[in-house]
Amino acid sequence: MDVVSPSLADSTATSRLPVTVNKPTPFTFDLGNLTAFDPNPLPRGASEDDLADIARDGAQALINQLLSTCEAKSTSDGVHLVLPAPITALPREKPIPEDKPPTKWELFAKKKGIKDKKREGKMVYDEASGEWVPKWGYKGKNKEGDNEWLVEVDEKKERETGEAGDSRADSRRERKERIRRNERKQRANDRSARKTG
Amino acid sequence: MLTTKPKPKNARAKRAMEKRAPQTHENPKTTLFVTGNKSSQILKNAVADLASLKRPLCERFNRKNDIHPFEDPSSLEFFAEKNDTSMIVLNIHSKKRPHCLTFVRTFNYKILDMLELYLDPDTFRTLQQFKNKKPAIGLKPMIAFHGTVFESPNETKYTLAKSLFLDFFRGQEIPEIDVAGLQYLISISAEEEEEGQTAPKIHLRSYLIKTKRSGQKLPRVEVEEMGPRMDFTVGRERFPDPEMLKDALKKPKGTEAKTKKNIDMDNMGDKIGKVHVGKQDFNTLQTRKMKGLKRGRDEDGAANGDDAATMVGEGEDDESDGGVELPTAKKGRF
Repeated sequence: MDVVSPSLADSTATSRLPVTVNKPTPFTFDLGNLTAFDPNPLPRGASEDDLADIARDGAQALINQLLSTCEAKSTSDGVHLVLPAPITALPREKPIPEDKPPTKWELFAKKKGIKDKKREGKMVYDEASGEWVPKWGYKGKNKEGDNEWLVEVDEKKERETGEAGDSRADSRRERKERIRRNERKQRANDRSARKTG
Repeated sequence: MLTTKPKPKNARAKRAMEKRAPQTHENPKTTLFVTGNKSSQILKNAVADLASLKRPLCERFNRKNDIHPFEDPSSLEFFAEKNDTSMIVLNIHSKKRPHCLTFVRTFNYKILDMLELYLDPDTFRTLQQFKNKKPAIGLKPMIAFHGTVFESPNETKYTLAKSLFLDFFRGQEIPEIDVAGLQYLISISAEEEEEGQTAPKIHLRSYLIKTKRSGQKLPRVEVEEMGPRMDFTVGRERFPDPEMLKDALKKPKGTEAKTKKNIDMDNMGDKIGKVHVGKQDFNTLQTRKMKGLKRGRDEDGAANGDDAATMVGEGEDDESDGGVELPTAKKGRF
């Protein structure tokens, strides 16, 4: 080998075991993959000892690089080194997932320039009782008036339809219908997303 | 063509489909070991050793399959899809191509690249032939590539071998590693390419790492061979299709590290931040006050009408004499 092994070169100078690797061309590293690249030429007809020597140098250089550049964290089960992200470009297994196609509402909102409204939380102040009540759900604000024991007959409506409507049942029916409509729209969006995606 | 994905019939099938679907942050690649229509004992031993280094990210087929990947790779693509493995190692032994391991990589269940490596039966040693303690299953190895052929800027068989071996051995991507987990090294080396001589062999060696106290901060590293020992001659290859490779090398959005402005490292390794302070208004700057610089009474009277506030301030200062007034600190933004 024309590359002088560092173990031979340094051991005469000091009795300490040498820990540095001196090669004509420096190594490059991909610490995220724990990999060292040694661009130095390996002459023809290398023996097993030569291979072990260069492997030792590679391991030494890699461990030196890891211990000197990576941040060390001491935990209860030993010292951990924080590795950087891998830099060698390796092909992926599958393509990058495509974004979900926008729903009908998202398209419409974009066209109209409607922005998402920040939701202010579930609770809302009830003026009448002076308490905070949920907007929906158990004892929700949207069920207000559903359990009134007595409701006024809407005369105008009675005149038009000819029968005394029940506003308690009406509000409940409307609410349920809105839920069903939303579910219908969700299914339609799912279906169209499956078709295109 | 409009292709519709089959709709999962139950929740379990749905979960399984979601697991296989393309993901932004991918799972580590699984390797599938397939046997061709004819194999040899040497190849069987080699595959067993490679699989034991790869475990648990591997699967093995026991039956023989009549596959010739350079003629018709469709059955390998089928296996890749069926088993969700994007790396396949096929072993076939024939008179023309003795002890041949074909490394195949797929992208989106289509063949990306292939390389044939002929194992040298004379120098091959198994894992069991080296009597020493082996590292634990699934431990991430350190990898080293030696030789100029791997550094070639062009697409050669050796750069392809480098990419394949790195992909094969690297295992799971991990954010941090236990120092005690640095136990073995896989060293892949190749000699110089010379005209008029056979193409250099690729030497695959693996070594256990022994660290010794060196009296310095860094340890002295020694190696001990643990097997397997394999020498390969390169055979046929199929380079990746540039379009397909471009797709395969795409990085998902939002994974690049954000470069932080005004923070950098100097050559000593110290972190240096630059702080920008807004422009200072020298007119409002409060300087040291001295009696000699004080305005006289007659001037005072003139200034009294328009600037009463400063008068008050000066009067107070007289009592607490000698206090050094500093300019009001301004908050810098990082």
